Amino acid sequence: MSKFDIRKIKEKLFLVTVAALAILAVFPLFHIVFTVFYEGISTIMATGPTFITGTLGEGGIGPAIVGTLMLTLLSSIIGIPIALAVGIYAYEYPNSRIGKITTTLLQIMLEFPTILVGLFVMQLIVIPMGSYSVIAGALALAIIMMPYVAVYTAESMSQIPFTFREAAFGLGVNRAKSVFMIIAPIAKRGILTGLLISTAKVAGETAPLLFTAGGLYQSYPHSFTQPVGSISLLIYTLVQSPSIADHQMAWGAALVLMVIFLAVFIPIRMSLKEVKL
Amino acid sequence: MKIRKPDLFQIITYPAVIIVFAIFISMLITFLIKSLPAFDMYGFNLYAKNVWIAAENPDNEKYGILAAIWGSIYTSIIAVGVALPLSIGYSIFVVDYAPKKVKNVLIILSDVMAGLPTIIYGVWAVFFLVPALKDNIMTPLYDTFSFIPLFSEPSISGFSIMSAGILLSIMVAPFASAIIRESYQMIPFKYKEAAFSLGLTRYETTKLLFGYIKPAVYSGMILAFGRAIGETVAVSLVVGNAFNLTANMLAPGYTISSLIANQFGNAFIYGHMTSVLYASGLFLFVIGLGVNLLGIYKLRRWRKNVEI
Repeated sequence: MSKFDIRKIKEKLFLVTVAALAILAVFPLFHIVFTVFYEGISTIMATGPTFITGTLGEGGIGPAIVGTLMLTLLSSIIGIPIALAVGIYAYEYPNSRIGKITTTLLQIMLEFPTILVGLFVMQLIVIPMGSYSVIAGALALAIIMMPYVAVYTAESMSQIPFTFREAAFGLGVNRAKSVFMIIAPIAKRGILTGLLISTAKVAGETAPLLFTAGGLYQSYPHSFTQPVGSISLLIYTLVQSPSIADHQMAWGAALVLMVIFLAVFIPIRMSLKEVKL
Repeated sequence: MKIRKPDLFQIITYPAVIIVFAIFISMLITFLIKSLPAFDMYGFNLYAKNVWIAAENPDNEKYGILAAIWGSIYTSIIAVGVALPLSIGYSIFVVDYAPKKVKNVLIILSDVMAGLPTIIYGVWAVFFLVPALKDNIMTPLYDTFSFIPLFSEPSISGFSIMSAGILLSIMVAPFASAIIRESYQMIPFKYKEAAFSLGLTRYETTKLLFGYIKPAVYSGMILAFGRAIGETVAVSLVVGNAFNLTANMLAPGYTISSLIANQFGNAFIYGHMTSVLYASGLFLFVIGLGVNLLGIYKLRRWRKNVEI
């Protein structure tokens, strides 16, 4: 019977290993959330509400918060309409040659090193304009956002049973109407989720903004053609500074960014079954 | 028969598809054109030598980014190597063992990790992970195993190839987990039934079934590698940023993306540096494209086989 025992021991050992690995895989998240919260809250408490509203000189990150909002908003305005149309195209032609190439391209762009997008937009916009700007930063973010939105749109639409389309065609509805007026509204929830998750994702991006947005922390941004800061970019700058006060500031800013991200991401994530990241 | 009118569907979607293709192609062309001067000047040595001499006189400038290429590959291999057992263990636990509630929580946590802004990982790593690794892992490794070339020199600051690799492993593990978990879930139940009916234990069943999803695990690794090699800000904060061509993972290194992030801002001062950095970007571009295409293709082919 000794063979039987070895198998049983192996079985127990296996379960313990697997559980330990699973916990180890998600443990860093707890540590990160706790550390950022613990370190960030003391900074914010020490400065008070000025931390949210003040400029960097006053000990606050107000301009960075406004910058993040401006960049995210403008990138959504640029990126979402195009991405929705591409997603609908990919849904409509899953098997045609161009449809397949489109889907592959979207997946490649999804995984693409984001810093390269920043370099590209720098060459395209920043150099001709002669200055970093909200427009350049937002365009870089829009390029990063598009594949996410498109993939989500295509996937949530393809989950709608084909009978709805058959019914639409049976009533003599044309293709555009059946896709835009019938299938898209049914898949609205999934599409909306994709939009929100993509927005949350680009709001935290740093690398594509390095050479496009420029950074502005001593005053509030007032123009789309002027340089702008963002919370993530500010953290990147502060962490590299040798001053302890700047590090404290970075923790505070990280807490603000984390809270914004979690506040958007968790409710959406809880309300649905699967996401693609 | 009526002549086909231009379809409203096509009028709306075609321009958008053309825009996306145009963006991608113009990106590739931009990188190619901007790298040409660097190729003219340094030829293939740009990728095959380890020199970085920025000089005011453009004739004295010399560049070769081999150390950065090496660092990118080295850190990403460490990342995939560490992330792989984590994501396999996680997938098995979530699919086979975890009760439904725990399962949902674990999946949500993993998704949050995959989406968390990378700069937050960066801050955490600079102030917590790197010092912790230095004291608890890197110093003991050097003390005990310094005869192995991998650990041949002590780490002075903790900012090193190993730190970057481990940070990347934490960042890409959720991503690899998602691919492996989804594939593991896709295995038809009849195989599991068959295994159990032979009297196999759960461990033996899992071992057997993993043979079935091996291609999916490989593509998960490849895609995780692609993601790790492109990661920029978090890595540039911890990798140490030194042109080191060494097997010693306790030494500071460089990666292509952190090279670009660090040097591009003031590259315009020098004659050739901007072009060299675009050429580095082109290398990353091609690697990223190749790795991701391979991963996507492998995964797609496997899924097709399973669905039949």
